Parts: sequence; C-alpha cells; structure tokens
Amino acid sequence: MTEAIIFYLFSTVAVVSALMMISVRNPVRAAFYLVLSFFASAIIWLLLQAEFLAIVLVLVYVGAVMVLFLFVVMMLDLNIVEKESGFTRYFPIGIMLAAITFFSIYYVLGQKESGMDVFQSQPLSTAASHVEGYSNTKELGKLLYSEYVYAFEIAAMLLLVAIVAAISLTYRRRPKTRHQNPDLQVSARHEDRIRIVKIPVEERK
Amino acid sequence: MENNLVEQDMSIYLAIVLAPLMGAIIAGVFGRYISRTMAHQVTIVGVAISAALSLLVFKHFALEDMTTINETIYTWMVSDGLHLEVGFLIDKLTAMMMVVVTFVSLMVHIYTIGYMHDDSGYKRFFSYISLFTFSMLMLIMANNFVQLFFGWEAVGLVSYLLIGFWYTRETAIYANLKAFIVNRVGDFGFILGIALVAMTFNSLDYQDVFAASTLHTESTIALFPGTHWSTITVICLLLFIGAMAKSAQAPLHVWLPDSMEGPTPISALIHAATMVTAGIFMVARMSPLFELSPVALNFILLIGAVTAFFMGLLGIVQNDIKRVIAYSTLSQLGYMTVALGASAYAASIFHLMTHAFFKALLFLAAGSVIIAMHHEQDIRKMGGIRHYMPITWITFLLGTLALIGTPGFAGFFSKDSIIMAVHASQLPGANIAYLAILLGVFITAFYSFRLYFLVFHGQPRMDHHTKADLHETPKVVTVPLILLAIPSVLIGALFVADMVFGDFFGAAIMVLPEHDVLATLAKDYHGIIAMVLHSFKSLPFWLMLAGIMSAWYLYMVNPSLPEKLSQRLLIIHKVLLNKYYFDDINSTVFAGGARQLGTFLSRFGDTQVIDGWFVNGSAKLVAWFSSIIRHIQSGYLYHYAFAMMLGLATLLVLLLTTVISH
Amino acid sequence: MSVTPDLLPATAEIFVLIMTCIILVVDTFTPEKYRASSYILTQGTLLGALLITIGLYTEQSIVTFHNTFILDPLASMLKGIIYIVVFAVLIYSKHFLQQHKMFKGEYFVLMLASVLGMMVMVSAYSFVTLYLGLELLSLSLYAMIAMQDQAKSAPEAAMKYFVLGAMASGLLLYGMSMIYGATGTLHLAEIQTNILDKFETHSLLLSFGLVFIIVAVAFKLGAVPFHMWVPDVYHGAPTAVTIFIGSAPKIAAFAMLFRLLVDGLESLHTSWQDILIILAILSMAVGNIIAIAQTNIKRMLAYSTVAHVGFILLGILSVSQSGYSASMFYTITYTIMAVGGFGMVLLLSHKGFDAERISDFKGLSTRAPWFAVMMMIFMFSMAGVPPFLGFWAKLLVLKAVVVEADMVWLAAIAVFFSIIGIFYYLRIIKFMFFDKAEDSEHLTITQGMAVTMSINGVVVLLLGLYPGILLTYCVQAITHVIQ
Repeated sequence: MTEAIIFYLFSTVAVVSALMMISVRNPVRAAFYLVLSFFASAIIWLLLQAEFLAIVLVLVYVGAVMVLFLFVVMMLDLNIVEKESGFTRYFPIGIMLAAITFFSIYYVLGQKESGMDVFQSQPLSTAASHVEGYSNTKELGKLLYSEYVYAFEIAAMLLLVAIVAAISLTYRRRPKTRHQNPDLQVSARHEDRIRIVKIPVEERK
Repeated sequence: MENNLVEQDMSIYLAIVLAPLMGAIIAGVFGRYISRTMAHQVTIVGVAISAALSLLVFKHFALEDMTTINETIYTWMVSDGLHLEVGFLIDKLTAMMMVVVTFVSLMVHIYTIGYMHDDSGYKRFFSYISLFTFSMLMLIMANNFVQLFFGWEAVGLVSYLLIGFWYTRETAIYANLKAFIVNRVGDFGFILGIALVAMTFNSLDYQDVFAASTLHTESTIALFPGTHWSTITVICLLLFIGAMAKSAQAPLHVWLPDSMEGPTPISALIHAATMVTAGIFMVARMSPLFELSPVALNFILLIGAVTAFFMGLLGIVQNDIKRVIAYSTLSQLGYMTVALGASAYAASIFHLMTHAFFKALLFLAAGSVIIAMHHEQDIRKMGGIRHYMPITWITFLLGTLALIGTPGFAGFFSKDSIIMAVHASQLPGANIAYLAILLGVFITAFYSFRLYFLVFHGQPRMDHHTKADLHETPKVVTVPLILLAIPSVLIGALFVADMVFGDFFGAAIMVLPEHDVLATLAKDYHGIIAMVLHSFKSLPFWLMLAGIMSAWYLYMVNPSLPEKLSQRLLIIHKVLLNKYYFDDINSTVFAGGARQLGTFLSRFGDTQVIDGWFVNGSAKLVAWFSSIIRHIQSGYLYHYAFAMMLGLATLLVLLLTTVISH
Repeated sequence: MSVTPDLLPATAEIFVLIMTCIILVVDTFTPEKYRASSYILTQGTLLGALLITIGLYTEQSIVTFHNTFILDPLASMLKGIIYIVVFAVLIYSKHFLQQHKMFKGEYFVLMLASVLGMMVMVSAYSFVTLYLGLELLSLSLYAMIAMQDQAKSAPEAAMKYFVLGAMASGLLLYGMSMIYGATGTLHLAEIQTNILDKFETHSLLLSFGLVFIIVAVAFKLGAVPFHMWVPDVYHGAPTAVTIFIGSAPKIAAFAMLFRLLVDGLESLHTSWQDILIILAILSMAVGNIIAIAQTNIKRMLAYSTVAHVGFILLGILSVSQSGYSASMFYTITYTIMAVGGFGMVLLLSHKGFDAERISDFKGLSTRAPWFAVMMMIFMFSMAGVPPFLGFWAKLLVLKAVVVEADMVWLAAIAVFFSIIGIFYYLRIIKFMFFDKAEDSEHLTITQGMAVTMSINGVVVLLLGLYPGILLTYCVQAITHVIQ
C-alpha cells in the first residue's frame, strides 16, 4: 500500500515535471524541471530495489550532465525563447495527432488480450523481493560482463565515437587565435633567434 | 548436296547474319587503318554474300517447298525454366524478309558510294548500315522473343545513330532524340508484353508459345484488383504498342517525318523499306497470338486506318521532297497495319515487300535529285528536271506508279488485295477502315503526282547557277535505281497468286477460318490478267485516276489555284501544315517541328525541353504535381518531424481498424 | 554457460575496432604532412577486414556472445560488400576531402566507427545489438556530416538528421519494448519461436510494436513518408559524406529490415505486408515524381534513392525466398550504382567548385568522354534499361511480386513509376551528350579515381551481362537464413 502511494506520487511528479520541462520558456527552469524528473525516476528505481541504477541516474544525469548543461545555458545567456510563430498554427492539429497516437496506444495496452495484464497479477512488492544478501549492483555487473558483454563493448565504442565527434566538431583552430607550439619552442636553436652581425668599424670623418 | 547445305547446316544462316557484321566491324573498328574504298568494298561484299545466300534460301523455300527450320545455336542462360538463347527460325516468311532486307540493303550500300562521296564520316556510315543489316537479320530470323527484342533494340539503336549522323546539325540531334524517346515508349509496351508472355507461357520460344496459345484463350489477368482482362488480349495490345512505335503508327508516328534529317540512303533503307516494317513483321509472326484476340485485331485495324488516311493528307501540304515521301511511308504503313487487323497477314506482308522496293526506289531517286540540286530539298525550287535527269525521271515515275497502285504495277496487287480484304472483313471497325483506305487511294495518287509534277515537269524554278550545273547522277546512283525499278514493276504480278491467294506462307502465318478473308477472296481470283481487268471497273481505280487528274489540273494546268484554295480553306490548310498539331500536343517544345527548334530553345530554355519529353502532354501535369509536392519539402525540421508522426499515426489507425474489424 | 564467449566469429569486428583505436593514436602523433598515413591505414583496415571475413566464411550459422551475434553467409556477404563499397567511397572522396580541409584523422576514425556499426547491425541477432549498431552508425554519420565547417548547410543537415534520427530511434526502442513485453525475449531466434505460441493472445500488442519498428526502419531506409531527411541531408552534407551515406548504410538498413521482419517477425507477415505495400507505393510515386523537378544532382539522386527503396520494399513484401533474394540483389546493385553516380559528382568537382547542379554535367562527353560513358552506364542502370545491372534488379523484384505475391497490380504501379523515373535519368544523359559545356575548366582526375570509376562502370555492365554471378550468392545467403 505504501509502495503504491509512493509509486503514484513520484510517477506523477516525473510526468508533470517532464511536461513542464518542455513547456516553460526559461531554459534554466526547464533544466531544473528535468532534474526533478530524473529524481522522481530514481525513486521509482529504488522502489524496484534497483539501487545501483537509481544512484547512477542521480550521479551521472543530475550530478554531471545536468550541471554541465546548466553551466552552458547560463553562460550563453539564453533567457526566454521567442514565441514560435508556427506554434499556434500547428497546435490544434498537433494535439489531434497526439491524441490519436495516445488513444491507440491506450487501447492496445489497456486490452486484456494485449498481454500486459500478466504484470498486474503480480503485486509490486513480490515482483521485486529478493533473497538475503542480494546485491543489485553485483547482479547487474554479472549480466553486463557475461551475457551482454558484446552490447557493452559496442556501447563503449559508442562513447568513444561521441568523444571523437564532440572534439572534432567543437575544436576549431581559428586562424587569428594566437597559440603556442611547444614543439617549435623546444626545438628552437639559438642560431634562429640571434644573428650576430659584424659591422665594420667606420672611421669618423 | 546443295539442298542439304540449306536444310541441315546452320552455318549458312550464320554466314548470312555474320557477313554484314564482319563488314561493320572491319569498317567501324579498324576504320582508321583502311582506305575509303576498302571500307565500302568490305561492307558491300559482306552484304552481297548475305544477299546471295538469302536468295538461295528463298529459292529453296519458294520453289522446292523446304520444311521449316527451327534451331537453337547458343544458350545464354537458363533461369527458372526460361531459356535465353540465340536461334533461328527459318520459314517462308523469314526467307522472304531476308531477301527484301539484304537486297534493299545491298542497293543502298552501292548507292551510298555516290551519295556520301564527299562526307567525312564515309567509313563510319558504311559501318553503321552494315551493322543495321546484321541487326535486322537477327530480328527477322529470331526463333524466340529475347532475340527478337535484341534485334528490335539494335535496329533502333542504329537508326538512332544514323538519324543523328550529321550531329553538327541541331535539328538532326533533336530528331534523333525524338526518335529515341518515342521508341522508348513503344519499348515499354513491348518488353511488358514479352514479360507477360514469359509469365503466361513460361517460355520465350516462339514454337512453345504458339503451341500453347490456344490453351490460354480463357485465362484472364487482374491488372488491377477486381478487373479481369483476357491475357492474350493484353499481351497482343502490349506487343502492338511496341509495333506502333517502331512502325510509326498514330499517335506514335511523330518521330518518322523528323527522321528525314538523316542521310537519304538511311531514309530509304531504315525509314522506308526495312526497320519501320519490323512492327508489321512482328505482328504477322505472332499471328497465332493475335488471331485469338478480336479486340486487339480491331484496335490494330482502326489504328492502321487512322494512320493510312490522316498521314496521307499531310503529304499534300509538304514542300520538302523527302518529307512528302516520308508521309507517304506513314500512310502505306497504315495500309499494312489495316491488313493485319483484318487478318490478311499475307496481303500485309506482300505489301510490305512491294513497298520496300518501290519506296526504296522513290527515296533513292529523290536522293538522286537532291544530289543534283546540291542538297536542295524544297520542291518549290525544282521543276522540269526530267530533261536533265532522264534515268532518275523514268525510275521515279515507275516508283510513283507502283505506289499509287496503277494496275499491273507491284503496288497495285498488294494494295488492291488489302482493300478487298478489308472490305470482306467482318470486324466491327471494318467499314470505317474500308472507307478510310478507299479515300486514301485518292490522296495517295494526288500527293504522289503533285510531287512528281512539281519536281519533274513544269518550268524550272531553280536558280541559274544550279540549273547550269544540273546533270544526271553517276552510275553508282543510277544503277541501284534501275535495279530497284525492276522489282517495283514486276514483283507484284510474279508473286500475288502465291503469296496472297495461294498458300505460300503455309504454317508461318496462322489465320482462324472465321477470320480468313483472303481465302474468301481467293475464290474470286482468276489470274493476274483478270485481276487487272477487273480493277478497271472498281472504285479504287477511278479514285486513283481522279487523284492524278486533280494533281495534273492543279499543278500543271492552273498552278495558281492551289494558292487560292489554301487561302480559301485556310483552317484546314493550317491544320495540315501543322500536322494536326500533333507535335504541339506532344510537347510544347517540338512545336513547329524540328526546324524552329533553334529559336524555340533560346526562348524557353531547358526546363521546357525536359517537359517536352513527355508524350501526350503529361509533361505539364507531372511537373505541376511535382512542384506542388516540392512545397512539402519545406526545409523546416518540425514539418519533417510532424510528417513522421502523421505517418506513424496513420499506420497505427490503419492497423487498429483492420484488427477491430476482424 | 561458458564465461568466455567464442570470439573467433567476431574477429573482423574486433580487428576494425582495434584498428580504429590505433588510427586515432597514430593520427595524433603524425605531423600534418604525413596525414595520408591515416588514409592508407584506413584502407588497409578495410582490406584486412575483407580478408578476415572471407577467411571466416562458413556455410553454417554461428551464434556467439550469448545469442547476440550471428555469423552466417548473409552477414559475411553483406559485410564484404560494405568493405568494398567503403573502400571505393574513400578513393572517390580523397581529393574532395583534401580540398575541403576534411582530410583529417577524425574523419577516418568516424568512418571506421560507422563501418563497425554497420557490421554490428549486419551480424546482429538480438534487439540490443541491432539497436546499438544502428546508434553507432548514426552517431558517426551525424558527426561526419557536420565536419565541414565552412559551409552553413552541413551543420543544418546534421542537425535535421540528428533530431529526426533520434525520434526514429525512440520509436524503434518503443516498438522493441512492446515485442519484448509480448515475447519476453530480445533474441531474434527466440522471438521467432515465442511468437508462434503467443500469437493468439498477443497479436494486437505484437503488431502494434511492429508498426513502430517498421516506422524506424522506414526512416533509416528513407521510405515515404519518413523520407524527408533524405534530400536535405544528401544535399546539405559535403559530397564526400553524401556518397558515403548514400551507399553502404543502405546495405546495413537492408540487413536491419531483413533481420527484424524476416528473421524475427516473419510470422507477423500478414501485418507488415500491408504496411510495406503502402510505403513502397508512396516511395516509388513520390521519389520518381519529385526527382523530375530537381536541379541539384545530389537532391535528384536522393529522390531516386527514395524511389529505389520502394523497389527494395517490394521484394521483401512478397514474403518469399525469391523475393528476399531479389531485394538483397537490388540493394547491392543500388549501392554499386549509387557509389558510381555520386562518385561522378566528386569527379567533376574541383577547387572552389562543387559540381552539384545537374547542368554541370552539360557537355561532359566532350570534356571527358570515357567518364561520360561511365555515367551513362550508371544512369541507364538506375533507370533499369537492359542489359545493365539495374534492369535485372528491377526484373527480379517484379517477378517476385507477380509470381510469389500474385500482385500484378502492384507490379504495374511499380513499372508505371519507373517509366516516369526514366525521364530524369535520361535528362542527365541528354545533358552530357547533347549540350554544350558550361564549365570549361580542365578536369583533374586522379589516377586512383579514374581506375576505380572505370572498374565501377565495368562492373555494372558486366554483372548486367552475367547477373547470375551475384544472384547465386544472394539466393544462397537467403536460402540459408530461411532454413
């Protein structure tokens, strides 16, 4: 019962803050709503006794990604986004489209025969109860490094590509920037720097 | 021994096909290492070998009643039971076509020595016409659809190369392009037809297909869900679309008049005597299929009648000597098509043969005039040439008489047979067709003699310089004329009894008893003399005479009258001058014909040219449609995302509605 | 369950991965003037991977990494073709990259990473690996598009591709999660077996997930109405990247389509067949018609891609062995032709001038007759004119539609639209052979480019004359998977 209350509370928070995130005009506020949404999701992970995922979510997304994001947003001084001119024009038809998609999904997932009811038959608490000494982190690690090792490696490669892509796209040497070249500095010889010119002494007339 | 050679050994047929190819390769690929004389010698020898052997084969078939040969020489690939192979089917139909093709080709080869004498592309030209001869032989000797298609494309390719032979002329390039595009339209019909044959019969071999054709009379095909079309009819119509483009039947005829931009020998060989008749030949060859589809036959009959009548009318207003003959060719092809529609295949093929000779003669004679006139083609600047060029004059007159169907000449026998056959036909459209081709006789006589009078009689209208220099063309030109004049006069009388009313073609052409109009006519046939005598009492003869007399009156007695008449009948004259505005309808670009294209291009630019490629004015429709859709591609990201979501929602709703309705 | 999975089948992937890292390091420490070393290493990697893949070729299906990786004839063949195509792409684009200051190590690293992504997709045997491979491919592509910093259009194209691609990925994941919910597994083989007994109870959920998956695949392939990114990205990206996007990833997308719909969800074919019919007709119609109105050759080829995708879908939707192999044949054929076609655009470009307008092809027959003939071969082949390769591809697909699926009307529509399509291919031929050149600058064609282009053209012609060579392999590969 308590679990159900917690679940509904935080899932409401997650959904509402997600909605707010896309609808507010101020980017800083939007970022904070996203943080809130992540927190709420982390708590739902906790309910499922997936502590590791919950902590990672908070650490990585809230602690690192979003903070970085906030820095960028604040540095760029983006305050309020101009009202989209096309927004009102496309709003009704957009809503209609969203409604159609939503109701068809609702229809399918709400169906008894859709097969989703198998999950309802198990109470939340029993679905996630484990034996003594069970470690979610350890289990996750075991799976990641055995069954999903291939996928894990590809994901690692994906991150490498992301780094390469990010650096190559943002790192642009502007022609006017002054920069040092250590290679040249180190290999400089005094012959290149100083030229001793012998000037013949001229007699004063 | 000799008989054995023809009957059993395929090497003789290979020799017939490969001799011109060798000539083409030597003159074309090794052209730079050999002299001009060498180039024409090599190709002429090649074609001469081929012509001689063809005559030998024909002799065996015509006189000794040899049995049909059907043999595969080489298998290219086998896929799912479909054999793609090279092989020859030789029967009387093929043998006759081989003689016509090789003989006319030989004459044209010889004639070319004179006509192209000063041209820089001399060797290239010989190489092309030999290559053409090879391709045409492959086409007619094929025993399967694949080879037929190969030949079909190859002759088209060479024709395309030759129309644009003088590629520095802008008009030639566009005539070239036009021929290419129109023929692609036909090819699609043709290749779809072949595909459907392969699908229905699971074979591409003539013999298999014809043998199985009666099994499929009842089968239908759902072109669109819920509709049923007789498979045979669809096949026949598709194949005939191919024939329409190749044999220049309305409305796919537009390329043929423009093809006159090519050198005259080409007009004679490809665009009069041989290639354009490939469509006629193909339908005759496929008679076992076409016979099973009255719908297709009726369609053919009407298309042919329309072409025969309306294209003839256009010949009246043309002033270019070659274009008059070109429109005459269109009209005569219409006659052949009408005959096909009436199931008088034999009469059609017979007309094809006589026409090949006299039309090649007319073109070559016209070419002879053109050489003498220093490449002037406007008949208003000619006149009285008979005094200067007697041989050309006489042969041209003989050709003209044959064309209009003067009793006793070759054209008479073939054309009269067609008219009688259509008269006897029971098809629903036969009455209209009969009327069209009957009036066509008057028109043919009129424009032919108009041309003849304007060129050879009356006062000379050329400038002094040309007139002073006017003389008969060299022997290489006149000899082929004389050699062609002989069959133009005689061949009708020689073969009419066998080919049209006899059973010459035998099994090569299949006619259902209920369609067999020629058999009905044969009962009334009592020899050549009787046929000639009977014609004096028949309508076509008097119509022909009326045509000649009108031409004589209008252009000899009272030459100012045509001008007045055209003033009086301004609208009709204009419609005819603009070729029924076909070109304008077909495309905004080709409006006014290839001549005005230069100015036109500078005015409208290229986009219109591209639109102009669409036949029947669909150009603008498609372009309009595509420019509308182009607006959706706005470049805005949210439009694209929106389109994606819309697509997703549509698919979801579609899925749900089908699931719920189950 | 062994702890260490069998690594041998994945040697090619591991090799490419290691080489990518090596190039990354080597490039950092090589001075500017030896930059070509990265290029040579990349080419070497592709050749090495080709050798490994050929060496590992087996007639069996080897599954490893706990059922997430499969090596079968289909995978080997598609991988081999990907290497060859990318190899050619690199040769074509070398000159362009040097002129546009893109001849950098990062470019080659990203390219190899996307090749790796494609390899993962081709060999994927589970939803997870399929998805990750797709992401690896896409992410590298986004970055490659955006790399040209002078042009404004490139970042815009990258942005569009990125946002829409992310949307498609989301839809794919959503669809996959539904299939997972219904079948309880991510492995394609288990899905195939589980569906059979879950079909009665879960049919709605299954087909619902299917729609999302198809939408995502349709996006990757560029089928209408999920094609909007194709022209903008092809147009906006630097030509050297366009030739890459337009070629090899199509093979990977075909593999994805095949693995998902046939390997995994073939029992749902009644549902996906109808959807594919709609997508195929729309693609052929929109692609062919809009291509006519284009004046930019890259956009025109983009729309032509959309039209060709319609044909690829036709083969799949005939739900038959011969249809699948026809589709595979078509995809490979298309890739070979597209590389040639875009390669010609690169060939005509020179410093400060990208030959992007169709009118830039005017008078090519006088400037470079041999290459004009090559381009003519590509255009004829794309138009489906016999005896070129493209003709057989179209023919086989149509045959499958008519014979196997018994949908003559669909084949008729396909033929109708490909006839419309012929006009824009012919327009290029017309420009090349009948018009006067507007650009009189002397063409600088490197030897490698000339040789590759000639081989490319000759291959299109020769395979057209002997289509059996390629077709046999396609049929074998598909037959093996279907069993």
